[in-house]
Amino acid sequence: MHSIIRPNAWVALKLPSGNTKVLQVTPNTTISLGKYGSFPTNLILGRPYHVTFELQDKRPDESFSRLHIVPADELYAEVFAEEEAADCVAPAASGSGNGHDTVISAAGGDEYSLVDDKGNVVARSDRAVLDESARQRLTQDEIEELKREGNNAGKDVIAKLLLSHTALDQKTSFSLAKYKLLKTKKYIRRFQVLPLDVATFAQWQLDERDASKILDMRAEMIGLVGCWANVHFGGHDVFLPDPNASPGQGAQACPPVDEKLLRGRWLVVDDTCGLLVAAMAERMGVLHEQGSEEGEGEESKAPSQQLPVVTKAETQAPTPAAAAAAAAAATTTTTTSTAQKDGDTEMTDAAGEPAPQPSDAQPKAKKPRPSDFMIPYSQTNTITVLHSSSQPNLSFLNYWGFDIASPNHPPHPLLNHLLTLSWLQLLQPELDSSYATPPPTASPETLASWKPSRRGNFHRKRRRFARTRYVVDSTRAGGFSGLVCASTMDPISILRHTLPLLAGGAPVAIYSPTIEPLAALADCFSVPRRTAWVGGGAPEIEGLSNEELERWPGNERFPLNPTLLQGVSIQTSRARRWQVLPGRTHPLMTERGGAEGFVFTAWRAKPAEGKVAAKGKFKRRKVEPAAGKPQDATPGVETPASG
Amino acid sequence: MASQPEPAVSPFLDPGPRTKAHSLAILQLSRDNLLPVYLQPPTGEHDGYAEGAVVNTRYGSFPHYTMLNVPWGSQIRASKVDTGSRGRKRKRDGADDTSREATAAASEKDGEGPGAVATPTQETGGGGGGGGGGAPVVKQAVADSSGFIHVLPPTPELWTTSLPHRTQVVYTPDYSYILHRIRARPGSTLIEAGAGSGSFSHAAVRAVYNGYPAAAAAAAAGGQRKGKVFSFEYHEDRYHKMKQEISDHGLDGLIQLTHRDVYNGGFLVDGKSPEADAIFLDLPAPWEALPHLSRRRPPPSLWPSGAPPPGLDDPARAWVSPLHPRKTVHLCTFSPCIEQVTRTVSAMRRLGWVDIDMVEIANRRLHASRDRVGLNLVNFDRGVNNSAKDVEEAVTRLAEIEARFREHAAKARSRAAGAGAGAGAGAGGADAAGAGDVDMDSDDETAAAAAAGDGNTAPRPAAEEEEETAAAKTDGLPPWMEGRLITRGEPEIKTHTSYLVFAALPMEWTEEDEARAAAKYPVGQEQKVIGTIDKAIRKQERREQLQKQQPGSKKARRKERDEKLGEVLG
Ligand SMILES: C[S@@+](CC[C@H](N)C(=O)[O-])C[C@H]1O[C@@H](n2cnc3c(N)ncnc32)[C@H](O)[C@@H]1O
Repeated sequence: MHSIIRPNAWVALKLPSGNTKVLQVTPNTTISLGKYGSFPTNLILGRPYHVTFELQDKRPDESFSRLHIVPADELYAEVFAEEEAADCVAPAASGSGNGHDTVISAAGGDEYSLVDDKGNVVARSDRAVLDESARQRLTQDEIEELKREGNNAGKDVIAKLLLSHTALDQKTSFSLAKYKLLKTKKYIRRFQVLPLDVATFAQWQLDERDASKILDMRAEMIGLVGCWANVHFGGHDVFLPDPNASPGQGAQACPPVDEKLLRGRWLVVDDTCGLLVAAMAERMGVLHEQGSEEGEGEESKAPSQQLPVVTKAETQAPTPAAAAAAAAAATTTTTTSTAQKDGDTEMTDAAGEPAPQPSDAQPKAKKPRPSDFMIPYSQTNTITVLHSSSQPNLSFLNYWGFDIASPNHPPHPLLNHLLTLSWLQLLQPELDSSYATPPPTASPETLASWKPSRRGNFHRKRRRFARTRYVVDSTRAGGFSGLVCASTMDPISILRHTLPLLAGGAPVAIYSPTIEPLAALADCFSVPRRTAWVGGGAPEIEGLSNEELERWPGNERFPLNPTLLQGVSIQTSRARRWQVLPGRTHPLMTERGGAEGFVFTAWRAKPAEGKVAAKGKFKRRKVEPAAGKPQDATPGVETPASG
Repeated sequence: MASQPEPAVSPFLDPGPRTKAHSLAILQLSRDNLLPVYLQPPTGEHDGYAEGAVVNTRYGSFPHYTMLNVPWGSQIRASKVDTGSRGRKRKRDGADDTSREATAAASEKDGEGPGAVATPTQETGGGGGGGGGGAPVVKQAVADSSGFIHVLPPTPELWTTSLPHRTQVVYTPDYSYILHRIRARPGSTLIEAGAGSGSFSHAAVRAVYNGYPAAAAAAAAGGQRKGKVFSFEYHEDRYHKMKQEISDHGLDGLIQLTHRDVYNGGFLVDGKSPEADAIFLDLPAPWEALPHLSRRRPPPSLWPSGAPPPGLDDPARAWVSPLHPRKTVHLCTFSPCIEQVTRTVSAMRRLGWVDIDMVEIANRRLHASRDRVGLNLVNFDRGVNNSAKDVEEAVTRLAEIEARFREHAAKARSRAAGAGAGAGAGAGGADAAGAGDVDMDSDDETAAAAAAGDGNTAPRPAAEEEEETAAAKTDGLPPWMEGRLITRGEPEIKTHTSYLVFAALPMEWTEEDEARAAAKYPVGQEQKVIGTIDKAIRKQERREQLQKQQPGSKKARRKERDEKLGEVLG
């Protein structure tokens, strides 16, 4: 998917310390790795991901370090040496540190540097080289001393060896006092660049940032939730035709929801700042921008123009405007970095249909501007986010170039595939002003007489109305292909309002960092509760129609209609990581603790019509011979105790 | 059968709102008892039975047409089917027929008896092909009271637990993690070997699917690659079964299965590169397959036998790599034994794979239930523990017994006293004295309790139980809400499936590539520094983090502790 590091991409630098640094690779900047050194960003642009770069020593005439791609053989030199040693050494000796050939016993990857009193490195060498020269230059006694004293002693001998690699020892009198011997990790100046996809981002957030922001959601859980909710590409885009409503037409000109067209839609409750949405979008093929997915091979042949110089101050956190501007700059030659400044006023939109766009460098053929009531969302392959505040918190999507709050967004696949609405809009839309306030109307003449800003405002209101109306109405129409949650809200209350919206057979997958909320949820579907519900133990539901039962508001005895889910199950997964090295293969000694993480899964069932009556009769008849075991009376209800 | 129309889009990828004829459906008998069935239309042609195919389960009989054109997820009631002479004349048709119609083996219509045999035999793919009912039920079948099932749309998860097993398979906890890690996404090209029972293949094709290739040709101008799975299997029988499944499931064109020994034959298809960017190897010896997955011809020493397999040993023939030339390739191997891992990892290192990472997935299922402990709980469901739920209840109970005993003893005494008074002192007096003595045996106690008549001791008369049921219904919690909600694991857990070894192979980078990139992104115009781990920034970050942590951790904990202390002291 990503193979070439593109300008302005968000990437993860894997540092020698094992830490990850996430940043946006802006052309013509310098990337500092802190104490490890710094290098020009342009040296990694257009280069492949996943290779290992090594910072080289500065050339005398240059003020920066150049990079060198380390061949894989070099990465594994230590292991290969060990493997070869193990091959010729009797198995009994394996594992002990004082191998025959090894003169200087040092932990794998160590490197020694000799630093003078001004802090300049005068010599640097790794074990292999030192071993070699030790054998040539040292006396047997000295070698014995090195072996005996192991890592920390024998410093003088090592320093002497190192010095012998420089021209210094011939000229200067051998004075170790002037030099400091440092043992450094050889790979200290090596790093990798990884594409910032969902897996990498989540790991970084979990290990090095704030795990609580993503509800401690580990990779295992992201995988499980995605699979159990059956999240996948939900079909090619289908758009409603533009109703071409004139400015004089009101709400009745909005295109009605056509349930037959709606397919491959997932409903989401996301309190992970958008990580869950990102994970789903990635599975559905709408997270990464087209450009970054295909044509990498051609990338290098693309006309190489002068790159826009981004002078705006940039912060570490992804600022949407900057990202958007950067993305725009990357796709077109003109840098319109101020285009996003206007926020909600949408001055740039005010031009309306006939007025020419100010950007004369638009390479694409101009399409006629869609009318206000045109629905920009695809009917298929969509994610609908239900949020509890007035705005959804999906801030992490900024790492993938998408800003939910940006009114005039550069092209991004999520624009047509991500729908958001608040719980109020779902449950009581008439109380939501953006839904309930009718769109403004005006005759074309009146409209033409207005100032552009007022006209822009007019169109913006109408557009917003049509979109809100569509999002709310289509969501309330139900028929969703699945429900995915990672929320701090009580899952019972979430299901109460979302179960009716799910298509029959649609999977439900709910993540929770702790098991308690999920256990309480599963308890709503317990065998005894179902038995009571279908067996006439619930006087409160007598006489209710199937439709009414589907929208059962819940009470204390039956928080949810227990027949609306099938195959209820709770699980947890944990990856245990191993070290695999010759003769030293074992599980890691420590791993991340914290929340364990659990997933609740089930499928939406469509209870048979008239079930209650039939069931009751059936049970009564049945009870006598079968000695009243509820399990027998309710086949099809999962009976974990007996299964 | 060959004339049956192929579904346009696989039911795995878009099942539509309702069940369809000739399409796969998964019948859920109970949570873990799933039965895949290809629903047959009621043509009357099936096996000469007018009513068409019937699925017989321990929950009753289900004619296919009762499950046709219903919304997915529907609860289907059993039908009364006259089985007549059916059941004895079971016949085994060819593989084609059995795989199309996975009805259960023979069963009786009174399958409602829990002891009835007819557990569907999933492993055989519905071995008994005699799915037709006996007497032609042309009209609506009569609903039977024996039970119901649910009809679910196929998904890889449901398929994995219901598919006909031909080999060990990869289950959801593993494949969900693997596909996430090897970046199998819409548009990816994935190589898989061996196909085995196709469990992983189904999950893989869902992950990479972004349209059928036919549509791709039309949209070729857009240039978006269609995701595809290239699968390999050398076991002939498995290959044929899997091939049939792929087309039965409408996955032709999305999974391309090749009959091949990949150790010797490698991964090219028709001599061409699949250009894979994700690979999954579930083979006994992954290191035998790995050299084929190289970007360049590997030196002879890197082949396990010390030389390339026949056909690849001609240095004059150009090396064609099955990998995508301009993408990082992500790989996972799946091996049950640690020795396999050691060899695999060693081979990976020599072949230039990086980011080698080995993990093992432990998955557990948990069951939520009510822990119902208490002297007064009704045996509504199984598993009530009629012992004291806490010390208070125990003490109350003991005190009650004590009181009743005393009462009983007092009554006895007064009776004795009365008798004595009436008939003169004598033997009676001695009795009473004995009862009042320390030396009291258990019979007396039981008698006392029984006399007290509260019915709270373990063996209770049925009448009393009923009384209590009524009591609980009216003023107490309903029985399903009693007790503490607990979770516990399954009785048996899988502690080891396989070791997962992950690795990545970056694209090749030549001097020319570097020269081109260097020309395109010249250095020397650096404006500012990014990514500094500057002291000021770090301090700021740390301050922010501390602020964030405090309410969640230290502060909150301190507050909690203070509150507890308050409770204890107050
Ligand atoms: C454990 S099964 C794979 C199961 C599969 N991953 C699934 O989920 O259903 C291993 C399969 O690899 C096949 N196999 C073994 N060696 C092979 C080879 N050299 N080339 C192709 N297939 C091979 C076997 O026939 C077997 O079907």
